[in-house]
Amino acid sequence: MHENGFAKFGENMKSMLHDQDASARSDAGIIVMSMFFAGLLVVAFTTNPIASGTKIGERAPEFTADAYNGNGWNSFEFESLLDKSWTWNSSEESPWIAVEFLDIDCGYCKNSATEVGEWAQMYSAEQWPGPDVVFVAVAVGFLGDHTRAEVLEFRTQYNNNFLYVDDLDISIAEEWEVSATPSYFLVQPDGIVAWNSNEATNSIGWDPKEEASTPLNGFDDGYVQLNEAIEQLTMLNRGE
Amino acid sequence: MNEYAILSIHGVLILFGVLLMTPMGSSIAAMFHSRYPSTTTRRGQILAGMMFVCLGGFTVSAQTLWMHNKLSEGASVCSGDTILNCDGLIGNAAYNTDPLLDQPWGLIGMVAFTLLMWFVITIAKEPMSSETPLFIKGGLGATIAGLPVIALLVSYEIKEGLICPFCTVTHITNVIALIGFFMLFKMYESDNWAPELKKSSRK
Repeated sequence: MHENGFAKFGENMKSMLHDQDASARSDAGIIVMSMFFAGLLVVAFTTNPIASGTKIGERAPEFTADAYNGNGWNSFEFESLLDKSWTWNSSEESPWIAVEFLDIDCGYCKNSATEVGEWAQMYSAEQWPGPDVVFVAVAVGFLGDHTRAEVLEFRTQYNNNFLYVDDLDISIAEEWEVSATPSYFLVQPDGIVAWNSNEATNSIGWDPKEEASTPLNGFDDGYVQLNEAIEQLTMLNRGE
Repeated sequence: MNEYAILSIHGVLILFGVLLMTPMGSSIAAMFHSRYPSTTTRRGQILAGMMFVCLGGFTVSAQTLWMHNKLSEGASVCSGDTILNCDGLIGNAAYNTDPLLDQPWGLIGMVAFTLLMWFVITIAKEPMSSETPLFIKGGLGATIAGLPVIALLVSYEIKEGLICPFCTVTHITNVIALIGFFMLFKMYESDNWAPELKKSSRK
């Protein structure tokens, strides 16, 4: 039974390959493949797609979550911080965004919290010659079930007077591929990730003018801190 | 150009194909009789109509892929305050690629309509071939396989409370192609496929 079935299938395939109808199939194939590749070429030549992700040069995943801004927990859209028309030579001083993922029980997060709070003030102060940098902390619950009250206590304790986003269910962390805290990202005003502390070599950043990665001066594979990335990348191409 | 003006160009292609597929198509097909004699038959009119429908489905899918890419660049291509909003769906990273291959839905649509177009052209070129029923069933199967995909995409629209007009036109086009292949299937089973030949003599 099976042998007959296979034999019949084999005969059908043989006839499909060799009979005169093959010409119709190949003609149709040439027409539709020409149409398909013509369509792909038009799309390829008229667009320059950017992948969504958290590697440098990718578009940072957007999210909506509750966030504490000093007056209470309100709905916050990451997109509201972006200026999608921004380019490297924009005359407008749109703010850059520094995103920190932290867990309030993580020792490294506690050690750096005061410093991060100082940077948040420093990079939006009058004395800072570069564009403003908006700081956003995303509080995750990797190391236990925390409450919003505990998150606020941490925020107050370390004088972090910037936005704290509730990600205690770690949904944003998963989307941003964050598996350890603290993790830092520097995002251009148009939403492109300019620097990611978790890159295998984190002494590289994104040059929006060249649309390519660029080494950060003076680090040669050494560990770069968020403030150093901010100072180099926000000032890149300025004055040109 | 306004996005809805562009959408209407795709719509005209599809509508023209639908008209050719209907009984009204015979008067429209009269324009092509001298150049394409196959359009003198009902079978030829349906196949010609399906070519336009598949072409419209292909172009609107290609435009959806274009919009997908443009949105990733940060542009806004079809946004608005109303329920009709492509940006919120095609630009939504959670929904704008298929869950199995992680490819943009526009590209999936282009591949699907290219395949359907291949079936239609092959059938049109050799309608008396012994493989014709295989290709009709292939087209029917491919368009039926598209239905759960459409259901998934409509569920995204319901979840987001938005309607993507470009995506909706593509979904409707798949359903029209399904109806077209079903008409061909029924026709092949009857003597209307080749009225000059009896069904018994075709087999």
